[in-house]
Amino acid sequence: METLNHKEVINLLLQLAAMLILARVFAELARKFKLPAVVGEILAGIILGPTILGTLMPVAHEYLFSSHEMSNIALDGFVQISVVLLLFIAGLEVELQVVWNQGKNALKIAVASMVLPIIAGFVLAYAFPEFLGVNINDRIVASTFFGLAISITALAVVARILMDLGIFKTQTGLLIIAAAMIVDILGWIVFSVILSLSESGSDGLGVWPTIGLTLFFTFFMLTLGKGMINRVLPWINKNLAWPGGLLSLSLAICFIAASFTEFIGIHAIFGAFIIGVALGDSEYLTEKAKEILHQFINNIFAPIFFVSIGLKVNFVEAFDPGVTGVVVIVGLLAKYFGAYLGGRYAGINRKESIIVGFGLSTRGSMDIILGLIALETGLVSESLFIGLVILALISSIGSGPLINWAQKLKI
Amino acid sequence: MYHKIALAIAFSPRIEALLSETNRLVNLFDSQLVLIHVGKRSDEREAKLQGLIEKANLSAEKTKVIWKEGKPVKMIIEACHEEEIDLLVAGALKNESIFTYYLGSVGRKIIRKAPCSVLTLIEPKLETTGFSQIVFNGTQAQITPFLIKQGIDFAKKVDADQIFILNEIKMYGLQMGTAAEDSEQEVAHTRRQLVQDEIKYVEGILGKLDQGDLKINIKVTGGRWAIELARFSEKIGADLLVVGDEHKLNFFDRIFPHDLEDLLSTLPCNLLIVKK
Repeated sequence: METLNHKEVINLLLQLAAMLILARVFAELARKFKLPAVVGEILAGIILGPTILGTLMPVAHEYLFSSHEMSNIALDGFVQISVVLLLFIAGLEVELQVVWNQGKNALKIAVASMVLPIIAGFVLAYAFPEFLGVNINDRIVASTFFGLAISITALAVVARILMDLGIFKTQTGLLIIAAAMIVDILGWIVFSVILSLSESGSDGLGVWPTIGLTLFFTFFMLTLGKGMINRVLPWINKNLAWPGGLLSLSLAICFIAASFTEFIGIHAIFGAFIIGVALGDSEYLTEKAKEILHQFINNIFAPIFFVSIGLKVNFVEAFDPGVTGVVVIVGLLAKYFGAYLGGRYAGINRKESIIVGFGLSTRGSMDIILGLIALETGLVSESLFIGLVILALISSIGSGPLINWAQKLKI
Repeated sequence: MYHKIALAIAFSPRIEALLSETNRLVNLFDSQLVLIHVGKRSDEREAKLQGLIEKANLSAEKTKVIWKEGKPVKMIIEACHEEEIDLLVAGALKNESIFTYYLGSVGRKIIRKAPCSVLTLIEPKLETTGFSQIVFNGTQAQITPFLIKQGIDFAKKVDADQIFILNEIKMYGLQMGTAAEDSEQEVAHTRRQLVQDEIKYVEGILGKLDQGDLKINIKVTGGRWAIELARFSEKIGADLLVVGDEHKLNFFDRIFPHDLEDLLSTLPCNLLIVKK
């Protein structure tokens, strides 16, 4: 087995240390300004990557990120695991109980808030592929991918905003949370299906078997799979060290599911997400265990992933104000109006529908993950990816003040 | 509180105990009793039923017997609608097999579909059950103020010793995971605040009610209410669990179980489902 040599080990450790330190510094700065940590972590990546460090101190950047190929491969392994774990806790955050309790209204809002951006994004990307930078050879899939990327809501970020505003437990707050959970589930299922249709992403078993297996896997994990988890978890809780046993075996199950979905030709993150939903919905995964998993992943693996984004792209060279402007404007308007109209269709009054609109417009990690996969599979250009990242930053910064403003509306 | 109480009669081995339990409730609440039997009416069955009524000392003036033919669940629900029943008493098994769970036994189907409140007795007794320790679901929901009011009225009537109102902090894991971006002090504050919010919520409801001499304890949990209620009820050896229901449950709810379905699959003790 090939291993890293002495210098490569040092290089890898320095890479990880630099990423974690800068991510922490900027996450703390973001916290001071009442912004989500993800904003600071992405900025840390931009500073550490080719955009700032690579321009101002090319030698330091060269040593840190370009001098040892093997270290970079090992770092990429960390990033892959990080994204899998991020989707795992995104799945854990989905509480089917909350979704059921909010019922049809949440479903209507979620579907409307996805359909409008998907259509708008698809039409835009399909009509102007060269301007936006979507893969012209895989035009339909790439356009749908773009639509889907602007239709996602960041559940964790919106939860934080609602908590800060003190409306998390209100009827509107719970409706937004439930709708965001449905968006997550639908979004990742649609994503998996689209990815299996993509020429660049079809390394698996072929389109229809992949779609069939995806749907079967989802249904199985949320019914019988969950039942099996419910039988195994009590044994783990009772007989193994706590929380050590639970944490290591949860992650092991997550990696098995992720490898299975990767094997059938959809992305590993889908398996991680679905297993997260199944595990998170189990009555035997205590809230304390969820909290530990959140802290462990959010503070170690999430920063590595978000900083790595800034390492992959030069945010100055590849920045296209036209593309970014279009992505941000279409992304914000389509998502807001989709959710707003969904709210009105569900019979919710205007003011609350506006709050729902701004709430669901919150982006953060999930659309960036989608965008990154699209970038890596060659479906979108760097300019479009940067547009998606900026959309995520603007919406996560702006949603809180906008919801606050909407609450004071006298309508 | 309950003007009309109904009991579905099936001539099962537990019928005498169920009649005795229902009779006690009828007397406590000064209600009318409606006995519903689904099956062919015959002299033999009528005589058998009359014998049971006499044995249970049911008042002839207050008792009405309804005979219906057809599918048991449908007919019982129909009778509840027609007679405007306030409380339906039913016997139920403590655990469901996986087969019964998905197909649904008659008893469980009635619980799921009844248009009125349902009292499920897992071990009905001839000498009648005492409801000494009662647990309420106080989790924030539209029906909760009504549930607590009904529960307290019920507890006062049955002369309960202790009431526990158990509240779930919704999405505790997500909220605390999100709060983990803060300092240790802020996280501790968030945790305290989440608990305080739940206590305040219940106190707000209780403040408007006449609690009589009842001893009421408020407990807060961080898990899913159905599971936590079941665990807590088992732990303290509760005699009755009171929960609210706003939804009509169907087969789909059993494939993707939630809240009440979780509770129905393994009943921790007698269960009163309050419906508006």
